[in-house]
Amino acid sequence: MTIAAAERPVVSARDIVKRYGGVTALNGVSLDVEEGEIFGIIGPNGAGKSTLFDILCGITVPTSGSIRIMGSEISGMPPHLIARSGVARTFQRTAVFAESTVLENLLFGRHASFHHGVLGRIVGSKSYVRDQQAFQDRVEEILALIGLDGERHRKAGVLAYGVQRRLAVGIALMSDPKIMFLDEPAAGMNGRETADFIALIRAIAPGRTILIVEHDMAVIRQLCGRALVVVDGKPVVVDAPHHVLSHPEVVTAYLGADDDE
Amino acid sequence: MAIQDFGTMMDRKRAGAMNGNKAARAAREAIYVACAAVAIAAFAFAFTDPFVVTLAGYTCAFALFALSINIILGGVGEVPLGQCLFFGVGAYGAAIGMGKLGLPFEVAVLIALVLSVVLAAIIGVITLRLTGAYFSIVSWGLTGVAMVAATNLEEITGGPLGLFGFPPIEIGPLQLSDPQTYFAVTATILLLAIVFLVALRRSPFGAAMDSVRQNPHLARSVGVDVARVRLKAFMLSAPFAALAGALAVPYTQIVTPEVFSVANTVDGLLMVLLGGAQLVVGPVIGAAMFTLIPQAMNLDPNVRILVFSSIIILIMMFAPGGLHQLGVALRDRLGRRTDDDRSR
Repeated sequence: MTIAAAERPVVSARDIVKRYGGVTALNGVSLDVEEGEIFGIIGPNGAGKSTLFDILCGITVPTSGSIRIMGSEISGMPPHLIARSGVARTFQRTAVFAESTVLENLLFGRHASFHHGVLGRIVGSKSYVRDQQAFQDRVEEILALIGLDGERHRKAGVLAYGVQRRLAVGIALMSDPKIMFLDEPAAGMNGRETADFIALIRAIAPGRTILIVEHDMAVIRQLCGRALVVVDGKPVVVDAPHHVLSHPEVVTAYLGADDDE
Repeated sequence: MAIQDFGTMMDRKRAGAMNGNKAARAAREAIYVACAAVAIAAFAFAFTDPFVVTLAGYTCAFALFALSINIILGGVGEVPLGQCLFFGVGAYGAAIGMGKLGLPFEVAVLIALVLSVVLAAIIGVITLRLTGAYFSIVSWGLTGVAMVAATNLEEITGGPLGLFGFPPIEIGPLQLSDPQTYFAVTATILLLAIVFLVALRRSPFGAAMDSVRQNPHLARSVGVDVARVRLKAFMLSAPFAALAGALAVPYTQIVTPEVFSVANTVDGLLMVLLGGAQLVVGPVIGAAMFTLIPQAMNLDPNVRILVFSSIIILIMMFAPGGLHQLGVALRDRLGRRTDDDRSR
């Protein structure tokens, strides 16, 4: 695992600043994530991790700074277009379409790659039939991967929390993204669910770049090659997780968090 | 559920039977439509009381309005408090076209439909950036503007007294002043609208709408242009409301600024909530109840509001998905029981 950033990073942020009125949520964060890496973003509550995350995937517009994803500047690009360019994300809360079945959830995930007009669907054009077949294969593959093969007709809202999280990853996988952003994927999971989840992420990681915001240090330690620590909106250190966690400033930030906030 | 069938279709184990299932479903649905057509014809022949038949026709027109509201409420999950704006555009369009410009009814209505779509595009671009209560309140405010305009532009709208005294309203050879014909026309249009909306829900656009309603953030992250889907749904809903407004004119025989009253929208919303927003025909069921109950109980209009408010509260408590939910729950319960029997 290389510690230094690669020559051509897949996700690259430079001097990200975000102010809300007089409050500075992020102050000069830069990062480079190389292709195929699983990269962690950690920090105490209120450190600005989630803001950074939302900026990286285009949901929040930074006050200043630039973000390049696969070489193109994404500042000012609408989120749905970023999604269509091969970037997928999961959400911490409301991660699935609760009123729909597992199968329908995956169907929604296909939106970005569905380009057939009314006519093609009605007459069943060749490309439509072919895509339909490929789509079915993909659905089966993902259902097996996320372990929801037997639950396909159940409503997503009634599934256990950890299972919903796996479904959320399944939705994101439908567009076969090159980059995945996972927002606190293991929050609220029990030990077994977390272990299953780590295995799932390892299984889908080859060929993708994955960024994870996470509280659970076990997840970061087991999955990530490198992690960035953000404290009070400022980047503290980027390094392998076991180095990061023993960094003096990080220790102070975590242990002193009560006094700071 | 909107795309359940689409989803089931994707089930690989049934992929071989996919075309068979599809054909069977199409055949079943063709039978439903045929039954509805027969029912419309039967009703028109069976009832001779002009009051009953005309009221049924008007109910169909208003059901169309409820369907328009539900494209927004049940479709993308916003509350369209300004939807009577389009209803009014349809009603005034028909009235001004016929009364002032001497146009045939159908031409006047077509112009009104086009106008309603253009208006929805303009309003949508401005207001749909706002969601939730903001969209509802701003669109409601615009109906107030329309009401003031209709009251004061006496030259065009007849002012507070409104427009009345139309020539006999007809669509080609069909005389809408004849109760049976009026009912047959409105009911047929309603039936076509339902068929269209069922197809819409199953289409990829229907799926996009459903994803936006359930979880706009997640929808955006899978590549749905949320603002565009909302705008398209709004533009699609407008002509339904306008057509409803125009088709109400043969019944009311007068168009006053009151058509822009929020009470109109609230009536439509109540119909949707009564019947259920997640069932395409839910608003139609609601409209039928909304008309039948006051007639059957001979209610004073003021008491009517009290009765419906109470019913809505009860529905929200016990069947938040609308009355049809009770039927579904019953079916599920019976279904589960037979499953249990089998497993024993």
